[in-house]
Amino acid sequence: MKSEVMVGNKAVAYAVKLARANLIAAYPITPQTTIVEYLSDFVASGELPAEFVTVEGEITAQLVCLSGSIAGARAFTATSGEGLLYMSHALHHTARYWAPVVMAVVNRSVRTMQPDHTDLLAQRETGWIQLYCENNQEVLDTGIMAYKIAEDDRVRLPVAFALDGYVLSFTAEPVTIPEQDKVDSFLKPFKSKYPVLPETWDAELEEYKKHWQQGKGINEPFTPFTGDENFSHLTMISWGKGHDLQWRWKAHQEAMMRAKKVIKGVDEEYGKLFGRNYGGLLEEYRCDDAEAVIVAMGTLASTSRVVVDNLRKQGKHVGLVKLKSYRPFPDEEFRDIGKRVKAIGVIDRNISLGEGGIVYGSVRSAVYDLDERPKVLGYYAGLAGREVRVRDIEKAAEKTLKAASGENVDSPVSWIGG
Amino acid sequence: MSKKMSILDLREEEVMWPGNPACQGCGGSIVGRLIFKALGRNSARVEVASCAPGFMNIRVPSFFGPAFEGAAAFMTGLSRGYKIIGREDIVVAGLIGDGGTVDIGFQGLSGAAERNENVIWFTYDNEAYMNTGGQRSSATPEYAQTTTTPIAKMSRGKTSEKKNVPMIIALHHVPYVSTASVAYPEDLTAKIVYAKELKGFRYMHIFSPCPTGWGTDPKDTIKIARLSVESGLWPLYEILDGRHMKLTYKPRELKPVSEVLKMQGRFRHLNDEEISSIQEATTENWSRLLSIDGKDIF
Amino acid sequence: MIEIRFHGRGGQGAVTAVKILAAAIYLEGKYTQAIPMYGTERRGAPVVAFCRVDDTRIMERDLVHEPDIVVVLDPLLSRSVDVTEGLKPGGLVLINYPGTYKETGLAGNFKIITVDATKIALDVIGRPITNTAILGAFAKATGLVKLESLEEAIKGELPSRIIATNVETMRRAYKETSAQADASGLKQAKIVKKASTAPLISYSRVVSDWRVSHPVIDKAKCVGCKRCWVYCPEIAVSIVDGKAEINYDYCKGCGICSEECLVGAIKMEREEVQ
Repeated sequence: MKSEVMVGNKAVAYAVKLARANLIAAYPITPQTTIVEYLSDFVASGELPAEFVTVEGEITAQLVCLSGSIAGARAFTATSGEGLLYMSHALHHTARYWAPVVMAVVNRSVRTMQPDHTDLLAQRETGWIQLYCENNQEVLDTGIMAYKIAEDDRVRLPVAFALDGYVLSFTAEPVTIPEQDKVDSFLKPFKSKYPVLPETWDAELEEYKKHWQQGKGINEPFTPFTGDENFSHLTMISWGKGHDLQWRWKAHQEAMMRAKKVIKGVDEEYGKLFGRNYGGLLEEYRCDDAEAVIVAMGTLASTSRVVVDNLRKQGKHVGLVKLKSYRPFPDEEFRDIGKRVKAIGVIDRNISLGEGGIVYGSVRSAVYDLDERPKVLGYYAGLAGREVRVRDIEKAAEKTLKAASGENVDSPVSWIGG
Repeated sequence: MSKKMSILDLREEEVMWPGNPACQGCGGSIVGRLIFKALGRNSARVEVASCAPGFMNIRVPSFFGPAFEGAAAFMTGLSRGYKIIGREDIVVAGLIGDGGTVDIGFQGLSGAAERNENVIWFTYDNEAYMNTGGQRSSATPEYAQTTTTPIAKMSRGKTSEKKNVPMIIALHHVPYVSTASVAYPEDLTAKIVYAKELKGFRYMHIFSPCPTGWGTDPKDTIKIARLSVESGLWPLYEILDGRHMKLTYKPRELKPVSEVLKMQGRFRHLNDEEISSIQEATTENWSRLLSIDGKDIF
Repeated sequence: MIEIRFHGRGGQGAVTAVKILAAAIYLEGKYTQAIPMYGTERRGAPVVAFCRVDDTRIMERDLVHEPDIVVVLDPLLSRSVDVTEGLKPGGLVLINYPGTYKETGLAGNFKIITVDATKIALDVIGRPITNTAILGAFAKATGLVKLESLEEAIKGELPSRIIATNVETMRRAYKETSAQADASGLKQAKIVKKASTAPLISYSRVVSDWRVSHPVIDKAKCVGCKRCWVYCPEIAVSIVDGKAEINYDYCKGCGICSEECLVGAIKMEREEVQ
């Protein structure tokens, strides 16, 4: 097996190459830029046979991937921060069209090039699956798994996988590169479920017409286009009896729920084949007899492991929940953890202004219905790229342990570093 | 160069179903029908927000993206995707309104042209954002009344000139650029038949009268299109490789612009001074085109 | 609260009608809501609009599903749309119709009032935009609003140069509104949503009832030049044995064929209301 000391952005490029993505459309933006350059080199040298589209902007990048995917290409794009915010409009479309596009997000904050999770978490309404990585090995492995998850017939949703800008994107560390033939056995070539081909168009329309007229929509004739639910068609509909597009959202939510099982299954399968897996939706680290746990995403989870180990050496019963999948959100897993611990300290590398930490809110909601709720505390850390040190997280963990033991803590939500 | 055709050369086969909910006398409907009649069924069509998706029952694989600015991106993606699955034979055609071309879609259009994507871009130009009720676009002619350039004490319609998109695209040095009109179906079809055999980015800008938005009688749609060409307001030409230019229709003498302007409600308010100004600009433009006709221009 | 539903075709002014009505009733001291229904439909296609009237501010934000009054702006609309659906028992239908209530084809536990709004509109305005005529009739038929209030309300909705003719239209319609009749003894005409005769794989809709006039071809004059065929936006013209023929299911009566025919073989004729 080959290993290389590589930066996170290279790990992304390797994942794309091994997954045999054949349509790449991306627009450079710091700190993602070198991903595009690595891929450009792979394509130019012939190592990666792909259509490489040097688009003029991020929206075009995403929409090229969307329509290319529908035509039958395995599409890839990547972006960061402002680029992702600009692309947001297009993200909704890719998800709505059930196009299994994979995108790498090199997390970047707003109005600075330094990292936090604002950019991708702000897209949580788009219907994309979101997976966060804590080291470059996980980045490479997740990139490959992303296609398997996205293209699964039970899912058919686009997947974004994230790595913290600078901390991972430009930091080099040893990464094992899976063998191409093993990846090929894991990930079969991509076929569009409903290709837009002239010779099959009429038949598809007839099937779709029946599908629609079976009560999913209205009975009026309509103009058929591509991109919808389990059919790649979208309709333009006017007022009429039974006019109801609400079911589309329901169908999408159901697919998101199905994705939970798929993500866990893919992770398990990957582990068996390559010897590495990541717990599926989340990983519990030393939580078995924990009284308190801290929750973290991305590289903060990696640093948190050191904190847990340090505190354990002191005899303190604390564990880490490394949250990998923010969408779909693993509320069942959190409910289960909530039954076993007395306090959960959620570290948010983000903030939803006007309310609070996004992961904090999701965790609290997940454990609310328990007969005996654990205390849930929140910590803002690392926003706008502020460095987060071992001792910073240790403070948060200690405070969470204090809460677990029943002591009064002055404020449940606090800013690490002021 | 495209070869001249007669009405009898036009294919019988319809690639569009009848019975669409377009307005009576819709120019765009005729454009859609003629384009896909010429392209045939081994094509795919891309549309974004505009009147087109709501009404054109065209019998080829159709991709509609409500991302208004995304026409170029969708066409690019489809075209590259077809290449990947070994189906470059499928002609990817965009049927885009002026809004999705000259304004919100302009960045994408320029990008796709610069990359020489293997697609045909058809702009059906009704000179305003008609689908949303008739707001001005940068393809709206000067002095035209629209809902955002109304006629009132402080406003005499649109104040800026129409953006000359065909020439801008020609400067991208793409294989083929042309203008066409619904009133000249043989010319329009001949140009499509020619463009179809080329590879790379091909652009066609088609005059498409809108009775609802222009305040005209539906029965006059073709007449207005014809008069616009005959008065020099809508010259018919093609440019090969962004270089060689050829007028495909040359009236011996231009009709006065007032004739066609007076037929349109959106120009009802024009005073003599304004009509003269339009006449002057049109005459000047026409002589300029005559002077470069048959020459290498860029 | 009183709930009203208007049925019309795009271009007849149904949406403007409810706005004028709401504004007029508000002038008389009541609260109103005017709700249009927009879709991707265009000129000629069926549209609906709703109006609510009450003594206090109206809180409901859904659509009107059980109207007390139904207003129909187009005489042929009731043949393809169930205009009385949800109408409260004992309710009222006001319909633009060139005939008596018995000929409308409507029947049920409600009252009917007719007015030939199309004729009045064509006579006074010169175009078949029936909304102001219908509003004049509405004032007479329901007594819910005064003619003077409507005349005041139009000033806010229509361009000044056409106010005078529209006021005249309203006043004449007010006078020419029929008396109220009971529709309970009548027989309801079948509501036929005409299906397209096109082949199975087709997404066509029949648009024939959008027309105000239709083309008639004089085959003796027709030389088969194909101009009408090439210029028809609806693909309603075909050439059969060298002569032009029209599929009236798809003709919207735009008049382009008639205008473009070089030998005068096509004339436009006014539609008859059956």
